[in-house]
Amino acid sequence: MTIFLSKLVQNNIKVFLVRNSDTQLFTVSYRNISILPNIYDGKEDPAPKFFSRNVQVLLKRLTRPDFAKVFRKRTSSGRDVLPTPIYKFLTNEALEAELAKANKKADRLLQMPPVVKIQQPINEILSEDPALIGYDTAKYLFTDITFGIANEHRLIVERDPDGTLRSCDHDVRKRLNQTYFPLNGRKLREPVMFTDEERFNTLLEQQEYEFVLDRACLQYEPDELTYQKITSITYQHIDMNKNFEKLRSTRHFGPMAFYITWHQNMDNLMLELLQSSAVREAVLLTALRHEIHGDVAEGDNAKILAHEILPTPIQLTKPDRLTEEDIQLDNKCVSCIEKYIVSNSMMKSQQELALQGFREYYQQLIELSRGLKKAHGTA
Amino acid sequence: MLPPASGTGKYFAKAAKSIRLIRQGCTNRPFFHISVTQRRRLNSQPVIEQLGSYDPMPNINNEKLVALNLERIKYWLGKGAHVTPPVAEILGLSGFFPIHPRSYMTAWRNRKTEQENIAKQIEAEKAKESTAA
Repeated sequence: MTIFLSKLVQNNIKVFLVRNSDTQLFTVSYRNISILPNIYDGKEDPAPKFFSRNVQVLLKRLTRPDFAKVFRKRTSSGRDVLPTPIYKFLTNEALEAELAKANKKADRLLQMPPVVKIQQPINEILSEDPALIGYDTAKYLFTDITFGIANEHRLIVERDPDGTLRSCDHDVRKRLNQTYFPLNGRKLREPVMFTDEERFNTLLEQQEYEFVLDRACLQYEPDELTYQKITSITYQHIDMNKNFEKLRSTRHFGPMAFYITWHQNMDNLMLELLQSSAVREAVLLTALRHEIHGDVAEGDNAKILAHEILPTPIQLTKPDRLTEEDIQLDNKCVSCIEKYIVSNSMMKSQQELALQGFREYYQQLIELSRGLKKAHGTA
Repeated sequence: MLPPASGTGKYFAKAAKSIRLIRQGCTNRPFFHISVTQRRRLNSQPVIEQLGSYDPMPNINNEKLVALNLERIKYWLGKGAHVTPPVAEILGLSGFFPIHPRSYMTAWRNRKTEQENIAKQIEAEKAKESTAA
């Protein structure tokens, strides 16, 4: 029994003993995840960098939107009957119009949650009136419910029992805004999955990243401390376990890529890109780092390359027949990555190995496609 | 069903209006609407417009919540609506009006009774000690 128990403890599994019956053992499998949240609280504000056009374009491309995942079936909540799909014959023009519509819809679905600096506490005293001491033991909260004012600009003040009239802090503002102008899905009390560390860790272990991030987006404001802590822990968990594929084609990939690049921790992602032979995206990631930190060797070169890459279609796998322009571009990318690995990378040997693997695979592809062209007499 | 905030009460443009608290809660649970209505009309009759709400029972965080539609309150004040003392007190506490004299009176009376209570307690303790000794 003791060996069994010690083994359980070793495995980081919580053991609950029920007092009434000692023989009963309840185990809840959950691991202690000791990730320290890293929030945007430094001197520099990430918002101008995040919202700059160059960075947005790079982040959107890195998201690698796959329509099959963007428009996947979700829960049918709020609907009585699932709509039946409609099949239509379309002319080319009509098809293009439909595709443009789908693109627009996907853009809306993939709109990234903003990355901003943490909020400052509100400490604004409007008036002090000691003659009001003893008027009431409770606080009075006054909310201006005038029509057409945004929640963040709404006038919300409190009169304390000591007669001070002051502006409310963010948490009270949020609660009152939710009381008088409820947001659909946001709860007045924080959901247990965020307050209870065990449940939160279990969700991370189950790799329910999108659920966690979506709910955090809904429940918190992007400049709240809790939001930044939760997302930070989630991003780091994804990064440590290399579960980047889980976030691809969702709106959270961009902020995640921005987060790990901002904290100079993007080598896992770089390695994953190289291993999946997405050198072009690896160059985009280098360009992103140069946009944010400006510390990449020959980063301007990467930026120019990124401009060349952006108009080309996304290549999830390399096509059988490579055009000469493709080959040229890919070779440029490989040399750019080489320089990055030498000067900036924290995982040099692994990334070099992955790059070497890509090089060999790519050489084979080149020979194959050139041979095919020769055989067809089109070279 | 509740009437809309814009109210259903008929009114005459030149007749006097009053902004007052109208009790909406149930037994033992007061809750007030801050509404504008014709001055010579009962609180049970339809109002012209609802301008806010006031919950006199403190919530779980010991707070009393007041909602004020300041834009509409300003409008009706501009139209010459009268304000009843309880509403004037609330608006005074919110910083929209100067503090109502009655608020100062209440505060002062509360402080006075508290001091008296403390004095009484001290006296009672002294009396206890003297009897014990």
